Amino acid sequence: MLPMFDYLKPRSLDDALALIATTPKAFPIAGGTNLLVDVRSGKVQPEALVEVGFLDELCGIRKEGGEIVIGAGTTIAELLSDPMIESQLPVLHAASTTFANTLIRNRATIGGNLANNAPCADTAPALLVLDASVELASVRGKRSIKLEEFLTSPFETVRAVDELILAVRVSVPPRAAIGRFRKMGLRKISCMAKVDVAVLLDFNSEGICVDARIAMGAASPVARRAVDAEATLVGNPLHPERIRRAADQTAQAAVPRPGSEYKQQVVRSMVTKLLDDIAREGGDRRG
Amino acid sequence: MLEHVTPKPLPDVDLPTLKQVGKPLRRVDALGKAVGATVYAADFAMPNMLHAKVFRSPFPSARIAKLDVETARALPGVACVMTGEDTHGAKLNTDLPGQTGRAARAGSDAPVLASDIVRYVGEPIALVAAESIAIAEQALRLIEVEFEELPAVFDPEDALRPDAPILFEPDNVVAKYAIRKGDLAAGMADADLVVENTFTMPFIEHAYLEPDAGVAWVDEQGVINIRVCTQVVEHFRSIARALNVPQNKIRIRGTMVGGGFGSKEDVTVEIFLAFLARETGRPVKLEYTREEAFAATSKRHPFVVTHRTGVKKDGRITASEIKMVADSGAYPYLTPYVLLYATGMAAGPYKVDNLHVDSVAAATNQTFTSAFRGFGGPQAALGYEQQMDEIAKTLGLDSLEVRRINYLKRGETTTTGQEVKSAAWSEECATRAVHALGDRAPSTETRRIGRGMASYFQSYGRIMWFHDTSQAWVGLEQDGTVVLRCGVPDIGAGQSNSICQIAAELLGVPLERVTIYSTDSAVTPLAGTSTATRQLYMSGNAVTLACNEIRSRLLKRASESLGVAEEALDLGESRVFAISDSSKAIDLPDLAKLCASEGIGLSHLAQFNAPFTDGLDPETGQGDIWPDFTFGAHAVELAVDTETGEIELLKSAACHDVGRAINPAAVRGQICGGSHQGLGYALMEDFELKDGYIQTPSFAEYLIPTVLDFPTTDAIILESGTGVGPFGAKGIGEPALTPAAPAVANAVADALGVRIHDLPLTPKRILDAVQRSGRKDDGTAE
Amino acid sequence: MADPITITLRVNTRVHNIGVEPRATLLHTLRELGHTDVKNGCEIGECGACAVLLNGEPVNSCMVLAVQADGATITTNAGLGTMEKPHLIQAAFADAGAVQCGFCTPGMVIATKALLDRNPNPSEHEIREALSGNLCRCTGYGQIVDGVKLAAKRLASSRQTGGASC
Repeated sequence: MLPMFDYLKPRSLDDALALIATTPKAFPIAGGTNLLVDVRSGKVQPEALVEVGFLDELCGIRKEGGEIVIGAGTTIAELLSDPMIESQLPVLHAASTTFANTLIRNRATIGGNLANNAPCADTAPALLVLDASVELASVRGKRSIKLEEFLTSPFETVRAVDELILAVRVSVPPRAAIGRFRKMGLRKISCMAKVDVAVLLDFNSEGICVDARIAMGAASPVARRAVDAEATLVGNPLHPERIRRAADQTAQAAVPRPGSEYKQQVVRSMVTKLLDDIAREGGDRRG
Repeated sequence: MLEHVTPKPLPDVDLPTLKQVGKPLRRVDALGKAVGATVYAADFAMPNMLHAKVFRSPFPSARIAKLDVETARALPGVACVMTGEDTHGAKLNTDLPGQTGRAARAGSDAPVLASDIVRYVGEPIALVAAESIAIAEQALRLIEVEFEELPAVFDPEDALRPDAPILFEPDNVVAKYAIRKGDLAAGMADADLVVENTFTMPFIEHAYLEPDAGVAWVDEQGVINIRVCTQVVEHFRSIARALNVPQNKIRIRGTMVGGGFGSKEDVTVEIFLAFLARETGRPVKLEYTREEAFAATSKRHPFVVTHRTGVKKDGRITASEIKMVADSGAYPYLTPYVLLYATGMAAGPYKVDNLHVDSVAAATNQTFTSAFRGFGGPQAALGYEQQMDEIAKTLGLDSLEVRRINYLKRGETTTTGQEVKSAAWSEECATRAVHALGDRAPSTETRRIGRGMASYFQSYGRIMWFHDTSQAWVGLEQDGTVVLRCGVPDIGAGQSNSICQIAAELLGVPLERVTIYSTDSAVTPLAGTSTATRQLYMSGNAVTLACNEIRSRLLKRASESLGVAEEALDLGESRVFAISDSSKAIDLPDLAKLCASEGIGLSHLAQFNAPFTDGLDPETGQGDIWPDFTFGAHAVELAVDTETGEIELLKSAACHDVGRAINPAAVRGQICGGSHQGLGYALMEDFELKDGYIQTPSFAEYLIPTVLDFPTTDAIILESGTGVGPFGAKGIGEPALTPAAPAVANAVADALGVRIHDLPLTPKRILDAVQRSGRKDDGTAE
Repeated sequence: MADPITITLRVNTRVHNIGVEPRATLLHTLRELGHTDVKNGCEIGECGACAVLLNGEPVNSCMVLAVQADGATITTNAGLGTMEKPHLIQAAFADAGAVQCGFCTPGMVIATKALLDRNPNPSEHEIREALSGNLCRCTGYGQIVDGVKLAAKRLASSRQTGGASC
């Protein structure tokens, strides 16, 4: 059985924030697919769980100007079935299709995935290339923080114990931008990534890359962008030589655990494949 | 390789057309399971029931310096706490008569509860029974224990070195066999070439979906009833021995088993339940968590298999020297028999006249190993089938061709010199499995296509010097329905359905009119274990004997009524009718009533005895071990991404001669399910221990195939009609798994041009191999 | 701390008003209420044996606290049909040889129900996607996929003849 804890269901966001702030060892719970596993194993020992997934402020996906705001309590299944995500954030949609499995997707939330910050969190690389910000709230107020800064070390984030993730905010990439995601695990579904990679590239009408973002997960202690590789691509057409260099640089930016050095090779290959695809598609688009 | 293979035509067989047997009927157990009506072991409760938990060792090797359970006992709601002192040092004897391994096993049986030394992480030390699971868990935390860690050994080859820590005196040898056939030196001298390879394979978890569970209570006769998911009802005898009670005071009520695959062949929860029910006088329930089911039950043996094979240039084997080292884990359990199986099948379905096999199993401070579908056969096949491909590669020959000229034929002898008396359709199966792959997908530079196949032979039925028997009782009711009583545990493979379908056939009733009562040691005649691919063979034959007796009584009485000779009558559609004129008939209910009024009994208890033999020759390891063998093959095509190390299985086809398919849908289920386990063995499964500590404690770390990983195996069912089971059936339960993993390993070697000698074939190992092959291509030294 | 909380669960045809400990999972609560067709396979959301429909969505009941399901409508496999009147999916599973040991079956049926409710004519890949959270160790999945296809086929013909919906 799970160890004892209290369960608190707040009436409002303010109520929830107050409960989290004042109850010792209180953890917010929404989908619970990470948290309950950690509670069961003893990795997390809460005295209380505070239900947050149902709060209005954490629900729904909405567009605000050029940005999309995804409530932290949005389940992966909701992400997958949202037409706006599919059409405007295809890289996140693609990452969601590889997330755990069908049953888990109905419970697991995007906020939970980021709060847990497993090195292999599937939404992290996709959100990194979307330049996502995490919106946090506490009784002390609200703040917004870049996802790169939010994810600090494995299973650690900058979220203070009294803070709650309200939403993830991303700017919608330009229409011409192309996003891609790829995951490798020991099996095809329902497993932790060995490596996952997300890329998002934007080109001008001459086919010059004007913005490049590459992120990888599971190949380093924390999901991270490969800034050198991005710089290699920006300002140039997506030629094979550039792709090779960017792939090498991404691989070099990976910091796999000792014994898992092969992951650098996997990163190199996955980046190459994704960029090759984009190069082909870009060529097709321009006819 | 392995392309444009034309299947060899099948020899003529004459299979009689039957009414029920041979049809893919809905299994008798299917609907109850589909609607959720089947009451599994953990679904059952009793009034006033206690809940049990087990306190286990956190260390792989330690002395229990202090064990104080008084605080735990004092916790309100705790009914009892038992330690090894309370069980009087009782041990779990492996209840198998006959020959064991050569090394003495005396004293090495696992204690029910460890009281002095613990030898693996998860070893049981104390039992708690309490009013709720929560209280039982709290009591576990109140058990005060101090350990002194002891030296430990985690590798079977290390365990055999003179300076290794000893798990049991005098040494760590759990079992040892030697086969000496023909003249090895002469055979090697005759060879044009000698090929040598060593292959390793990891611990594998059964990963049945139903964690072990049961409920026990003492009834008004003082009988300890244990309702449990088990493959072996007959464990009531070892339990009685451990509790020091008469054997007729233990009753095992087996449930439908939610998957066993050999793991529920060992005693699991039932021994703890028996002690606790007796101690408390109350019903007790024990359900393992998944983590416990992983840590506290057996695993498939890791093996190191070395083949040194002398071959002629045309591929003919002149001599073979095989060495096997198996990891027994901390306690022997069924290791001596598993090793014997692997040893006795070491050379595979090939004619090898000059042969040495030396095998040894060693104890280590790791999770114990015991039965797992195939029982050593899959490890043997991973040796001989990878070696066959390496021989072909070394000689520059087609791998199927090398196999073809070496295949054992009917009438020739196996590794132990046992004559194969049934059809040996290795080539028929291999050619069909490969043919089913169709056209080969094209390779690209980084996505390399590989094809591999593997043949095998595998025993069905137990070792003949176990003197195996099975009983079945069949009765015809007055309304023409049939009752079957047979102690066969149904572990999901259709064990009970098969014998119902046989009874329906022989007594001429629809399958729906047969009801079976199974798996109760007190009321169903003992049918032996649901292991060793033996139930269809053994209990199928027992039911056949019982049905035929009733059938002959029915025909005799009908003959009198109808005035038609018995030989001219048949049974079908719930009536006895004249074969020449089916209007001359009597309905079964009428006939049954007639028999009842005349005192003609329409029930019968029959016993089937397998052939009884003595053990192997102790010097040469030669002799007959098994009743018969199944032959078959598996072929796969896959793509290896040489940059990421990913493998995509594209096609999988298996062909087995099952003798006669009693229910082809169930046979297909066995083939597809068994092959999936084999594919997982090759590609992802690895029950990993590090210094004795489990690294894969749950389904999050120990990965088994999902529905998206592999295509469904194309199951090609051949029927030679030559098996020793009912209607000429052979066994398929274990054989289905055996050839799948070596087929995959061979396909990966085909794709990469280099062999990976260790399973599973993970992306990391693939990329290492790609690097090796790359260096070869460059001409630089490895 | 951790006093029982009173909740209402509508499970199949029954309504349970019960007090539960906060730590009780929906899986344990359902089983204690007698819904033992919901199987406990791993308790960490990896095997799918405990799948139920929670307000129509298939979830692992081990990954939901009973208190989180307060007020919810829950359908378990046994709520779909009985021996006498099996649900079309259950009958199709039995007929297709999709059932071996049967321990994964209730979860598989639930995942299938959720699939066919939103997509009555799924492709093989869609079927496999929908079952990706349900482990089976016996069948190799082939006959389970066959069972889903058979159910979809029968569903289509029963709809044509104006029969019951899925």
